[in-house]
Amino acid sequence: MDRAQHIIESTQDIFSSMIMLDVSAGEPYSRHKTVLENSISGIIGLAGTRKGLLAIHLPKKSALAVTTAFLGMDVDEINEDVRDAIGELANMIGGSIKSALDPKGSNIQLSMPSSVFGEEYTIDCLADAEEITVPFSFDGNSFLVELQIAAE
Amino acid sequence: MGKTVLIVDDSNTMRKIVSRSLRQAGIEFDEILEAGDGQEALAVLADNSVDVVLSDINMPNMNGLEFLKAKSEDDAIAGIPVVMISTETGADIINEAKSYGAKGAIKKPFTPDLINETLGPLL
Repeated sequence: MDRAQHIIESTQDIFSSMIMLDVSAGEPYSRHKTVLENSISGIIGLAGTRKGLLAIHLPKKSALAVTTAFLGMDVDEINEDVRDAIGELANMIGGSIKSALDPKGSNIQLSMPSSVFGEEYTIDCLADAEEITVPFSFDGNSFLVELQIAAE
Repeated sequence: MGKTVLIVDDSNTMRKIVSRSLRQAGIEFDEILEAGDGQEALAVLADNSVDVVLSDINMPNMNGLEFLKAKSEDDAIAGIPVVMISTETGADIINEAKSYGAKGAIKKPFTPDLINETLGPLL
């Protein structure tokens, strides 16, 4: 399975089983570190035999909708619950990517998930990393899942 | 006497989701205790009577494997069953967890049915 397809299947599985949201995937592309605006990103690093990062980027409105569905309670501002929920989403998608790259689980280590929120920001990883981004949509909302991974 | 579960995860969100999934799975506990890492979990186990532990692996301060090892070395709490619930379910990691006494593993994302299948036989 290619990486884009793995991102799509992992993300759809996590959203349907944990958040009860059906998300549609668009055409994968390379984001080239374009600026993210009024968004929150959950990020998890990969280290060991493969280095890189997995990030999920959500516009504020989408992040609030996802967190509301995830926790089953209304959330109307970016707070600690939103940061934690988006970080945990990155953790689960990153864990799935790690399983594909390292089935036994001992050659790649995952960092602790983190989150970034701001009006304008970019996220850089390794200069020579392969980068793939998959856009997703649900109920008038959108988000991106991005994988940056260094060559073997 | 009712049963008590301890949920160990550094994510507050995930602790809430696990609690909700236990209810959805039809597994009733009289008390649900929480800890944010392995160190906190050891402290909770020292002060409370706990029937089963659900623990993440990738946590700050003391991760799930370190928690299992420390718990296995304390005779007072070594016998409390632990199920790992984590994105980390590679064979090497799960075998290490089982060598420290873990009774099973649930991969995130999970469903209430999967929690029921894994946890049910331990209660």
